[in-house]
Amino acid sequence: MLGLPLVFAYPLVLSALVLLPAIWFLLRLTPPKPREEVFPPLAILRRLVKREETPARSPWWLTALRLLMAALAILAMAGPVWNPREAVLNGDGNLILVIDDGWASGNDWADMRALAGDALDEAASASRTVSLVRTTSPFEDIAPTLEPEAARRVLDSHENIAAEPDHEDTARKLRELAASGETGEILFLSDGLEHPGTRELAAFMSGSGLKVAIARAGDDLAALSPLANAPEGMRGTVLLPQAGESTPFSLTGRDQKGLPVARTSVVVPDGEKSAEFNFTEPLELRNQIASVSIEGMRNPGAVQLLDDSNRRRIVGLVSGQSADVTQPLLSPLYYIERALSPFSDIRDADTANIEEAVTGLINQNVSAIIMADVGNLPEDTTAQLQDWLAKGGMLIRFAGPRLAANPEDALLPVRLLQGDRFIGGALSWEEPKGVAEFEQNSPFFGLEPPAEVQITRQVMALQSRDLDEHTWARLEDGTPLVTAGRSGNGWLVLFHVNSDNNWSNLPLSGTFVEMLRRIVDLSRSTLSNSELNESISLPPMEILDGSGTLVPPPAGLKPLEVAAGTTPVATVQTPAGLYGTENGYVAVNVLNSADPLVALDTASFAGARSVAIGEAGNTEIRPWLIALAALLFLADCIAVLWFAGAMSPASLRRATRHNRVATATALAAVLLTGLLVLAPGTAFSQSAPGGNGSPKPELDYQPALTTHLAYVITGIDEVDRVSKLGLEGLTRYIASRTAFEPGAPVGVDVASDELAFYPLLYWPIHANSPVPGEATMARVDAFMKQGGSILFDTRNQISSLMPGSNAPENVKLRQILATLDIPPLEPVPPDHVLTKAFYLLDSFPGRYAGGDLWVEQLPTSDELDARPARAGDGVSTILITSNDFAAAWAVDENLRPLFQTVPPNPRQRELAFRSGVNIAMYALTGNYKADQVHIPALLERLGQ
Amino acid sequence: MKSPARTTIGEQTERDIGSGLLARSRARAALIPDLLVEAKRVANNVYAGWHGRRRRGVGENFWQFRPYRPGENMAAIDWRRSARDDHVYVRDREWQASHTVWLWVDESPSMLYQSRTAIVSKQSRALVLAFAMAELLSRSGERVGWLGIQPPIAHRHAAERLGSALMHAPPQTDFPDTISVRELSDVILISDFLEAADGLHDRLKQLANRQIRGHLVQMVDPAEDAFPYSGRVEFRDPETGTRMNAGSAQALRDDYRALFAAHTKSLSLLARRIGWSHTVHHTDHLASQALVALHMAMSHDPGFGTGGR
Repeated sequence: MLGLPLVFAYPLVLSALVLLPAIWFLLRLTPPKPREEVFPPLAILRRLVKREETPARSPWWLTALRLLMAALAILAMAGPVWNPREAVLNGDGNLILVIDDGWASGNDWADMRALAGDALDEAASASRTVSLVRTTSPFEDIAPTLEPEAARRVLDSHENIAAEPDHEDTARKLRELAASGETGEILFLSDGLEHPGTRELAAFMSGSGLKVAIARAGDDLAALSPLANAPEGMRGTVLLPQAGESTPFSLTGRDQKGLPVARTSVVVPDGEKSAEFNFTEPLELRNQIASVSIEGMRNPGAVQLLDDSNRRRIVGLVSGQSADVTQPLLSPLYYIERALSPFSDIRDADTANIEEAVTGLINQNVSAIIMADVGNLPEDTTAQLQDWLAKGGMLIRFAGPRLAANPEDALLPVRLLQGDRFIGGALSWEEPKGVAEFEQNSPFFGLEPPAEVQITRQVMALQSRDLDEHTWARLEDGTPLVTAGRSGNGWLVLFHVNSDNNWSNLPLSGTFVEMLRRIVDLSRSTLSNSELNESISLPPMEILDGSGTLVPPPAGLKPLEVAAGTTPVATVQTPAGLYGTENGYVAVNVLNSADPLVALDTASFAGARSVAIGEAGNTEIRPWLIALAALLFLADCIAVLWFAGAMSPASLRRATRHNRVATATALAAVLLTGLLVLAPGTAFSQSAPGGNGSPKPELDYQPALTTHLAYVITGIDEVDRVSKLGLEGLTRYIASRTAFEPGAPVGVDVASDELAFYPLLYWPIHANSPVPGEATMARVDAFMKQGGSILFDTRNQISSLMPGSNAPENVKLRQILATLDIPPLEPVPPDHVLTKAFYLLDSFPGRYAGGDLWVEQLPTSDELDARPARAGDGVSTILITSNDFAAAWAVDENLRPLFQTVPPNPRQRELAFRSGVNIAMYALTGNYKADQVHIPALLERLGQ
Repeated sequence: MKSPARTTIGEQTERDIGSGLLARSRARAALIPDLLVEAKRVANNVYAGWHGRRRRGVGENFWQFRPYRPGENMAAIDWRRSARDDHVYVRDREWQASHTVWLWVDESPSMLYQSRTAIVSKQSRALVLAFAMAELLSRSGERVGWLGIQPPIAHRHAAERLGSALMHAPPQTDFPDTISVRELSDVILISDFLEAADGLHDRLKQLANRQIRGHLVQMVDPAEDAFPYSGRVEFRDPETGTRMNAGSAQALRDDYRALFAAHTKSLSLLARRIGWSHTVHHTDHLASQALVALHMAMSHDPGFGTGGR
């Protein structure tokens, strides 16, 4: 149309343009009507407005705007198309359709097939035959010339394949075709990349004298390089065939079930062809990643599949020595940690208890456990480790004095001689020994034996027939340095030296790092630990289809032959995918190196005609016209609002709320319409955030925010009620008399609640209360050792007065305390700091007055000087009374006491409260008051 | 008064007059203490009032003793008081007088204007003010009249009398005839004073020359002051029916407000020059505000009065 590459889908609609003059007439006819207002001071106003006359018609530009809007709408309805597709073919004779159906065609496969379909249509209408050549398999078993319909059937039944096209073979096939005379015109549908042999192909096409047309796809292609699992993250590179504007890519790592577990994004900068990305998710998550793909890319090259070899191993460390954190260099694990950290993730045992440490590490799912100089293992632990080894674990042990002393251990690859061998000391003839060459059956084979390493001590293996098989490394004299053996599916590895530099300087050498690396690599890599140096054949498990999705393998795929030490390559017979079984598989990827992608250079195809592919050449203008019309509509709305005065700030201010909302809604609607229309064909997909498992259970730290008095729940309701009321009464009393304002009293269950929050536990003893179990008492013991105090109250002062009584409460108390480490006790001496902690007291009555309060015995002072208060360095962890404090403190909601004191004496209750205050203050402040009493003396000494 | 669906800012209301108005004005008046009309310049009153003026003058009740000044009437000396010490005292009496106050409310169409933000129309508010003043004045024994309708009367229920007289009279649209106003009376003129300033000024000056003290209460609708119009508006004058188009009314706002302020200012200046009081009252404010202002102006020597006293 008019020489422009513009056609209309519905040209008849354009006749509506004749309506424009009518619209113009209508628009001129109806100016906006003014509002009529009564205004008494018009005389004053008139003095102003003589000059201003309001136009009765809308301004010309508004009319023009509206006319343009109408014209745009009509044009949009007519369905204009820019640059409509031209004919694909322009030759005659046989059509040789060369189509790239490798991995890189994934994104544009539909377009390529559509273009091929167009070409076949044209060939069919010209009654031409077709030779179909697919570049991944140019020599496939197919007739040299086909009818277009047959070629279309072949094409429709094939997707592109996750493998590299073979242009070299393609060139040979074309030569064959040319030689057989089936020539005419070549249409080459390229995926946009150079592949091996593309030059030959180009040379043939430009030199054959045939008409050649090239359609080049792959403009927005992106691919992934192989990934590396580094300590700080999983790294990879996004590759583009050609540099362009900066493009963002988002990458998703998925686990074996295809669920996203990791996400990251990367921007390929302007003018660059690649950009490196990094998954910084925690190692456990990274290890779950089974495939990484570029979001939105539909080609197998944008997917990298991972197998076991990419996983970082988690290694647990256990030491026989109690690690001294202040001297890390002396820790036997120091060099191991340093050696392992570049390539694996280290879990330290967080406890010195080997049993717990091993259990903890196994629960953390470590691949290998390293034990440095651990001698005897507990039986349970041995069994546990053997179980773990049978499932494929790896136990690496280092010798040391402890191991040398206990050679009878089940968890050793070889039997050891008692004691260790000392080479090259002052009392020895021998020189320190070096390391011998690594033998071929050793995993260390290929490493350079470190010349500088000197072994001075080692544990010796008992000579046996199979010792050689088990030996991975030897000293120069042939004695084993590293021995290993299978244990179930797992490995037992023993270094015959220890892990620091006392026995040898091996841990200081770089070889040590490599050795550990190779050993750790053995762990749980199920495939590589079968036969190491034979090629194996693996059945296809899942393969990538043409769009980069893992699918079950189609029938007829060949098993993958993996030669030792080679990386398998994706071919037509074995396209990219996973090969093997669920238990162990090898990932085959399209791209096996980070080499940059090379874009196809169409200039090298001399004389070739270029054909546009896809929708790129065929642009619908309608959305843009509609968007423009919507913009104009927006402008028109704003203009009308402005004319009506609704846009002035004053009117916005003065407008009623309803009106304002309505105006805002209208504006928002207009804007929204505009925006929607402005974004034709743009779809936003909301990606669900990756679930990171269930949240960590939170410890309830609430009691830590306020200091609470606490009592032990005995399980006997009456006692617990009195305890609660009593502590409430005491809490009130303390809050009103002292600066300490405790929170509401808390009943704690010593068996389960966290006790660390409470400085003082009130523990009433009832004859029927159950004796806590040992685990519970261990907690109580820990509580007391961490500085908590417990006030035991047998509440039986009065009954214990009976003659010959061994009160049941006392018996119970004795039972409870039996498992505790109780220091010697004494009744509170008169100079004890408890008597002065807040009030000055000489007795500690509760409901009963007669009983003593027992505390830890203070160290007797030798000098017997007249110190007014004595205190040990800490707070007595245990206080025992029989005076039933809680009953004396218990008050009801009207602050009336609940229990009469014995004898009935209000003073005694007051003293009971004061006792409570002193005990609480003592528990909180310790021996502070004992120091305070010296203040006069201190001041005097300071010369004040 | 307010129709629910109003699109315009201002509207013309019906003439508001009736017993409801009276009741409202009475309620307003109940808020005000007894009005004490300052009547300094009324020398020898004609009618004896009922209440003291809280100043010396002619009356019956003792007011104060003060030292005799040479030249005063010897008969005024209170010899009994003077005998008690060495000075000569004069016995002052409290001045008791009643006073004539004329009321007038402009009822021209422009006064019937009420905008959206106003509580009532200007006319309604003006009548309330007038009746409230009448109530106050009659309560304190003054004679109250309505220019052009009712000659002054001294009556406990003067407000009712004025109200009924007003109901039967035609609306007072023009400036009233002031022939019957005698000198030294007070005149309360309540209007929007929007007519041509020259004629108004001349009339007021004439009144002032006749030794009449006046109080101008200018009713202003908030819309007249703030000019909240915007966009294309056609303005219509309710008095003359003149129309005027404004293309974008908001553009006129600042200039108009300056002019309106100048108009008010000129009225205020005139009032000050002739010794009258001038109160501006917005109809979106409470009527009692204007009443208090008026009360202040009448009962005290107004601070704004400069000339003529």
